[in-house]
Formats: sequence, structure tokens, C-alpha cells
Amino acid sequence: MAEVVRNVLVAALCCSGIVFFLGGTVGLLRCPDLYARLHPSTKCDTLGACSVILALIILSGFSMVVLKLLAVTFFLMLSSAVCGHAIGRSAFKSGVVPWHKPGVEPLPPMEVEEP
Amino acid sequence: MRAGSLARRFIQSLPLALVLFIFWVIFTARFNWHHLLLGAVVSLLLSWLSFYLLAGRLDPHLNAHMALRFPVFAALLFWEIIKANWDVLKRIFAPSFPISPQIVEFDSYLESDIAKTVLANSITLTPGTVTIEIKGSKFFIHCLHDDFTEDPGSGTLQRMTAWLLQEGPPEMRRLR
Repeated sequence: MAEVVRNVLVAALCCSGIVFFLGGTVGLLRCPDLYARLHPSTKCDTLGACSVILALIILSGFSMVVLKLLAVTFFLMLSSAVCGHAIGRSAFKSGVVPWHKPGVEPLPPMEVEEP
Repeated sequence: MRAGSLARRFIQSLPLALVLFIFWVIFTARFNWHHLLLGAVVSLLLSWLSFYLLAGRLDPHLNAHMALRFPVFAALLFWEIIKANWDVLKRIFAPSFPISPQIVEFDSYLESDIAKTVLANSITLTPGTVTIEIKGSKFFIHCLHDDFTEDPGSGTLQRMTAWLLQEGPPEMRRLR
């Protein structure tokens, strides 16, 4: 019985991970510009990977593997956040103008540093 | 170099050695006495050597209290990530694709570099918002939609960071 519950949990988490990955890819294809593409590609993918790793944690049972997988999750989140920020910042510094919805005014006057 | 300063550096490097040793234990996953001994020797040597060469110390914010608060912070952050991710996912799969990106800026009351780093990374991890640039205390955030512009400024995340590192106005250092 416990085996069945565990398998169902693992399958559900893997499936939700796949949904997040799919969302990330679809968002990447639908978004209009670089800044908007950062959102789905860095974060939906992170959460997808996290739920797959969570499934692996449940599958492996309690052992040292759990700690290793948690460390993997931590570094995955850290690196994806940092690289999303790095891409956005370098684009902003080199003067890539963000896309706005037609008819929507940009909020503050944008200050882009001269290179 | 005097013996006293060498000994002081050794004592200062002990927290780093402890962190390295914990990672050693996690990654080797063996509890034989010779594995543990080897890990202890290597981590002590490495931390002493890096202090000797770089003369740096761990940021004073990274103490035991912060390490105890971190799991709570991580759990709260994960919940925020799931909520916001669900919202972004709904937008991505909606046929009308309701996004309207804006760059917003807000002033943060956090002072130290490490607090700003934690806040910027948390904002970037929360879907719908990416930290583009930090100048002084000003954060520039790219938001996928106007609905997401509220949170980075008013701040669940900023409040969580203030609680984690005990910075900013005292009334903000509590979770609720």
C-alpha cells in the first residue's frame, strides 16, 4: 500500500514538473522580447527541475542521497537566478529597449548608462 | 608574522572549515573514520590556506542564527515561487497572452550587500519579476505584468530578507 502511495506521488510530481517545463518552453516561444523571455525560461524551468528532484527524493527514501539532491536544488536555484539577472543586466546596460504593449506608456523615464 | 596572528587566523577560519566539512560529509556519504579524518584535515587545511592567502573572513551576517532561520526562509520562498509560477503559467497558456511588461524601480531599506543580493535573487526567482539592476538602494525590476509590480516594493520578499538577516527598521524584522 505504501508502495502505491509513493509511486502515485512520484508520478504526480514528475507530471507537474513536465507541465512546468512545457510552460517554460511555450513561454519562451510566445514572448515578444529578451526581457520577457527571461521570465519563463529561467523560472518555470527551475520549478520543473525542482519538482522532478522532489520526486527523486521521495523515490530514493531517506538516505544521504536526499541531502545531495537538496544541495543540487539549492545550487540550481542560485545559478538560475544569477544567470537570469546577468543576462537581463547586460542587455539593459548595452541599451536593449524593453518591449511595451502597444498603447502602454513605460512607467519611469528609463536611464540607460552610456557605454 | 607573529605566532599570535597565525593562531587568530586559524580560529577565524574555523566556521569556514565547518561549512567545508559538512559539504564533504554530504558528498562522500561515508562514515568510516578514515574518510571523516581525511575530510577534517583537508577542510581545515583549505580554510586556513584561503584565510592565509586571501585574509578574508565570512560575512558577519552568516552566523548560526541565520543558518537556523534559513530553512524557514527557504520554505516561505518556495511557497512564494509556487504561487507566482502558477500565475505565470496561467498567463502563458491563456490564448490572449495577457502580459504587459514594465520596468519599475523601488527604494529598499536594506543596507548590506549580502541582504541586497539575497533580495535580488529572491525577486529573480519569483516568476514575473527579474532584477535588472541595483544602484545604491534603488532596485530596477522588470515585471511581466502590472499585477506583479506590487510585491517587490511593498514587500513580502523584502520583509522575509529583513527577517533572515535582521536588517532594516525593527518593525520589519519580524515575520508577521
